Amino acid sequence: MNRPLRRLALAGAVVLIGAAILVAAGSAGQAKNQIARGGTLNVGWEQSFGFTDNFDPTGEYLGDAFGIMDNLLVRTLVGYNHTPGADGNKIVPDIASSWKISNGGKTYTFHLKSGIKFGPPVNRAVTSKDFVTAFERLAKPADGAEYAFYYSVIKGFDEYGKGKAKTIAGISTPNDSTIVFNLKAPAGDFLYRVSMPATGPQPAEVTKCFEGKAGQYGRDLVSTAGYMIAGMDKVDISSCSALKPASGFDGQTVMDLVRNPNYDQSTDPTRKNYPDEVKFTVDASADDIYNKIEAGQLDLATSSIPPQVLRKYATNSSLKSHFFQNSGDRTWYITMNLTQPPFDDVHVRRAMNWIMDKAALVQGWGGPTIGAVANHIVPDTLFNFKLQGFKPYKTPGDHGSVAKAKAAMKGSKYDTANNGMCSDPKCHGVLLLADTRAVDTKMLPVIEADAKKIGITFTVRTINGAYPTIQTPSKNIPIAERPGWGKDFADPVTFFSPLFDGRTIIPKGNTNYSLVGITPAQCKKLGVTGDCSPYDAKTGLGVPSVDAQLDKCEALVNTEASDARTVCYEGLDRYLSTQVVPWVPYLWSYVTRITSNNVTHYQFDQFSTTPAYSQIAVK
Amino acid sequence: MTAIPLTPSEAAEPAFTGRSAWRLFWERFKEDRAALFAAAIIALLVFIAIAGGPIAQRVTGHSNTTAYTQTMEDAFGIPKGPNSQFWFGADGAGRDLFVRTMYGARTSLEVGVVASGIAVLIGLVVGLVAGYFRGWADTVLSRFADVMLAIPQLLIAIGIVAACSTTKTGCLHGLIQPGLGIVIGVIAFFSWSIIARIVRGFTLSIRERDFVEAARSLGASNTRIIFREILPNLIGPIIVYTTLLIPQSILFEAALSYLGLGVPPDTASWGGLLNQAAQYYDVAWWLMLFPGLFLVITVLAFNLLGDGLRDALDVRADR
Repeated sequence: MNRPLRRLALAGAVVLIGAAILVAAGSAGQAKNQIARGGTLNVGWEQSFGFTDNFDPTGEYLGDAFGIMDNLLVRTLVGYNHTPGADGNKIVPDIASSWKISNGGKTYTFHLKSGIKFGPPVNRAVTSKDFVTAFERLAKPADGAEYAFYYSVIKGFDEYGKGKAKTIAGISTPNDSTIVFNLKAPAGDFLYRVSMPATGPQPAEVTKCFEGKAGQYGRDLVSTAGYMIAGMDKVDISSCSALKPASGFDGQTVMDLVRNPNYDQSTDPTRKNYPDEVKFTVDASADDIYNKIEAGQLDLATSSIPPQVLRKYATNSSLKSHFFQNSGDRTWYITMNLTQPPFDDVHVRRAMNWIMDKAALVQGWGGPTIGAVANHIVPDTLFNFKLQGFKPYKTPGDHGSVAKAKAAMKGSKYDTANNGMCSDPKCHGVLLLADTRAVDTKMLPVIEADAKKIGITFTVRTINGAYPTIQTPSKNIPIAERPGWGKDFADPVTFFSPLFDGRTIIPKGNTNYSLVGITPAQCKKLGVTGDCSPYDAKTGLGVPSVDAQLDKCEALVNTEASDARTVCYEGLDRYLSTQVVPWVPYLWSYVTRITSNNVTHYQFDQFSTTPAYSQIAVK
Repeated sequence: MTAIPLTPSEAAEPAFTGRSAWRLFWERFKEDRAALFAAAIIALLVFIAIAGGPIAQRVTGHSNTTAYTQTMEDAFGIPKGPNSQFWFGADGAGRDLFVRTMYGARTSLEVGVVASGIAVLIGLVVGLVAGYFRGWADTVLSRFADVMLAIPQLLIAIGIVAACSTTKTGCLHGLIQPGLGIVIGVIAFFSWSIIARIVRGFTLSIRERDFVEAARSLGASNTRIIFREILPNLIGPIIVYTTLLIPQSILFEAALSYLGLGVPPDTASWGGLLNQAAQYYDVAWWLMLFPGLFLVITVLAFNLLGDGLRDALDVRADR
């Protein structure tokens, strides 16, 4: 070729190649922007659903259940973006299009969107009265609510619950699309409280059949979101005797959700609803679940991860695109009962915090990949990392320190030899209730060996599913390594009220396992043995209370000018960690999820700290 | 011709000595090489059960309960295999597997032998009474044994766990407590009925034999017949089924441990170690190999011993 022609050819080739690249990039970008709709998302669930109230939205308190309700079945006045991080913790409109806060923070007026209908078999528009139904069920103890304490701030809520009034005085519905809440006192987190699944609208014509029957509405849950329980269209609601559970949820092993025909996507910018069907199946073995994910029979799982599977996905670069980790907003901890010896002495509780090899406990969960060592009560993410440097019991390598533990023990009434060891007979054979998860079998030897270093020995009792026992104060369990606590919503109050308020301790389903703030009168009524006398700073014995501090922090509101509320809660965390010491926190877990090859798009919901099921796409 | 009386010395002359039943047994038994070997193995296992744990602890310098998480587990908490310090590697919680296997012998043999022993004792009594006396005693006892066989064992064990595992004192004011006692009790409770049925069957056939009829016609009491005629003939099958029951009991204990009804978590047992092996089967071959090997050897030894004992004791067979 002669020179000019060669140059032309070269130029032409460059243009062609450039065009090819642009086209390829364009189509790849187009493919990325178009997330596939359709298909079935198959989710494995380890061992048992573990619902705390059989998926009845009024009482259900399992975080993993919130993920299902919030993304797929239950719309609420306000909701979330179903995204990770701070964006996923922000309050956005859901059924309410707008709201007004007046009367010094004591009145909330919500205006509802139009076009929101109940799914089959109810098939009618949602009105403000349907929210009243939900709150009335929340108020009545017989309907099984487990976080009703969030709504006691509504005028007349408690009175209605006790049967002293016919309606809840503080909730009014001037018309079908307006609902007004009048509170006894300002509550800075009230918007968060009405984002909880229990406050979603419920059809009275169906829920009246479950009046007084806690936990039974779950199998007939009427949807307001993108999906419904399969078979709901066949459920007969003409009378309570004709009403049967929907076929799609058998209560034990399978929950099958299909699209809700009455759902109007145009009213819902936050839920994308990609799959046609979402199916949850219980599987006894975590090993089997991850084998199935690899084979494509399952796409996702709510399950512990066997360490060898974790190792495989964390270290193999070709599997990295199926390995997702997000902040868990969750603390795993050893709980100590403030009424049971030797943990009724703060010296002993502090010593326990010093002696525990937290790094080994975390290793039992899968090591640093699974999460970070916890240093205080509330995960750092909820305080925007302001308390990052607060590590009151920090030891080299987080392996614990015998010297510091013994120093903390000195002065305890149980340190009879005055040598920093728990030598009183009450220190030997202390009842420890353990669960049977794989992580429990790995943590127990560490906990037992470490406690022995300060003279405490345990009588270990293991039970599969330890929560119900720990949640019953009359069982008087001194110490348990099972608990974990995830935020209810992104306000620190959810890490304090349910856990440390002495006034809300209930006989069953109690979440203040340490019994902080319990009074002698309550102890007698609840069947708690042991010493319930108030805290004596001189001896370190007795039960401290943080009720006053809780009330103070709860009344504060964060503004543009000051984080008074957050700062108040930070102080409370410091106080609890060093002066009350009800726990040995050891792990702030990430939420680690592994997906199959079928999953083309994965998203995390920071509110529920679960996968955002409606935003996950499958082939 | 007069008969020449045999003097005592002349009578003692020929090499003919009277042998007791035990002598007969021993002479037959010692011919059986396999059985002798098995007996030696079991003797060794008994020694390990008694002293093996503490000796292993002394020799290796590792305690039975310490979790060596920093040295014997990787960053993900997966146990590491055998090396010069840890001869059998680490168990699922990072403890020395060699030491725990030695201690496990104590737990497993205790449970196996005692539970089987009790089950056989009860089954023997029930089966003998039912088979010998027949009539309403037989009906009642046999139906009772049938009910026992029909009971879902694991479900009852779970029920006991749920009811009695959550307090320190357990049920019935400390009578039913989690630990070795309840494991032995539960295993014996569910195992005696099988023995009873077998014993009853054998008793039914033996009591029809000629020598029993002969004894009866000579005026022997029921007690004498049972203890002198029937029981000796039962020893063979009893021994065989006992030796089959022992490893079964050891594995039953493993299943109970998994449910939370069993020995405390820091007490070692082969069954418990095998449970951990199942969890780590794809990354920790040593967890399955060593406890499994000991279990296999124990089962084999008891079986061979049982065979040998039966052959040597069998009064009918001419060997």
